[in-house]
Amino acid sequence: MIQWLMNIDRRIIFVFVFLGVALPLLANVFLPIRPTRDVIAVYDQLEKVAQDEGVVLLSFSYGASTEPEMQPMARAILRHCFSRNIKVVAVCLWPEAPGLAQQVLEEIGDEFGKTYGVDYAFLGFKPGNFAVVLNMGQDFRDAFPQDNWGTPLEDLALMRDVRTLRDFDFVFDLAAGDSIEFWWIPYGQEKYGFPFAGGCTAVMAPDLFPFLQSGQMVGLLGGLAGAAEYETLVGRQDKATAGMSAQSMAHLIIVIFIIFGNMAFFLSRRR
Amino acid sequence: MIFLSRTLPVIVALCFGVLGIGIYYVPHAAAQNIERELALWLRIVFAFSYLLGLYSLLNLHWQRIRQRVEGWGYSAMVYAGFGLMMLFVIYNDGQGPFAPQAEGTAAENGYQWLFEYVQVACSSTMFSILAFFIASAAYRTFRARTPEAALLLVAAIVVMLGRVPIGAYISDYVPAAADWLLNVPNLAAKRGILLGVSLGAIATSLRIIFGIERSYLGGGDE
Repeated sequence: MIQWLMNIDRRIIFVFVFLGVALPLLANVFLPIRPTRDVIAVYDQLEKVAQDEGVVLLSFSYGASTEPEMQPMARAILRHCFSRNIKVVAVCLWPEAPGLAQQVLEEIGDEFGKTYGVDYAFLGFKPGNFAVVLNMGQDFRDAFPQDNWGTPLEDLALMRDVRTLRDFDFVFDLAAGDSIEFWWIPYGQEKYGFPFAGGCTAVMAPDLFPFLQSGQMVGLLGGLAGAAEYETLVGRQDKATAGMSAQSMAHLIIVIFIIFGNMAFFLSRRR
Repeated sequence: MIFLSRTLPVIVALCFGVLGIGIYYVPHAAAQNIERELALWLRIVFAFSYLLGLYSLLNLHWQRIRQRVEGWGYSAMVYAGFGLMMLFVIYNDGQGPFAPQAEGTAAENGYQWLFEYVQVACSSTMFSILAFFIASAAYRTFRARTPEAALLLVAAIVVMLGRVPIGAYISDYVPAAADWLLNVPNLAAKRGILLGVSLGAIATSLRIIFGIERSYLGGGDE
């Protein structure tokens, strides 16, 4: 029995994880979510931008593989911006990001009846990683002379007063790689001094805590949990909140298996 | 030849390295203009790196198909997928490859449809499968064999439960403990690592700029 507990067939674990993830999603279970300090800080910053009738730059730095974790975050942030009439400019620094950005901008833009070019603009992807950030800080039109569909920025009402990164009231990077710590902070926030925050996959979040403490980041949305917390603040429960019940169950199952494995391990050592 | 393959690259690295560091801290308009120009050059180099990556990927899979190595069918799928996406990019809703991307949602645009319903679905599925492997690996490897391993195990359990809503159901102390672990020991360790890595990067950069480290030229020091 102890040996069996120590070497449970991985297929049994897979079945438990599958059920733990699938059942809460199918049953539409919503667990209450308590927003944390760093997520509230992002919300408050956007509220400040709304009061000043400002413009936000949203940078999409993620691809298809992290879509389930990052897209709900983008959706929640955009809902907040559009519900408070904040203007949004979206750029992509990852080659896979334009399709995802376009999808979420159109979806949330339509939901709030926003007009392209007036309330939001989508400038597409440019290669160059940190060099694009540097370029945007020097002259925004050098980096993005036209939008995703070839319209010159001068023809977009929203873009007429934007010359550099300093003209944005807030910059938010949605990141699945190292764009926050190696592109935006050293070549953007630190050099041009604008309020900056980010959203990232859960596995990356602990790496970014030093930048929160140093004040280089206003706040941080970490993984699906961060997105769910933001959905709670915005008052619209969506995919992230639904996903948190599945994630809760998955974590609980993993913890239970770890405890079983250790109990068996200690019993076998005693013998 | 040695001048072109060894000396000239070192001179170029020295000039651009010193220039790059200098202009970062100089707010004068002339320095800013040089920085602007350099950033544009960098972006052009980055764009070429995509071509290099594409060539490398296609060449690797072509060799696998040509030599009929085990699993060469997957390499053929790479070509099929690439060809199909390229077809829609070139067609671009009838506007051709040199026009900007055609407007339209997934329902109206073939490229966007393939991206949303094939690429996103496949990539997300691949990434999701990780959860199953992590669950199995965590069960097998997280054993409290030593006091250090036990400490790591307890911290992992607290953070895993504290970062999801179920943690607060168990006790209010669970999310509080998870926050403390992330904001104090994790932060201290991350900051130490970050400082160490940064100092290492500065040292390596200086070695490259001043020609001490030349392995990037290929063949090591002469």
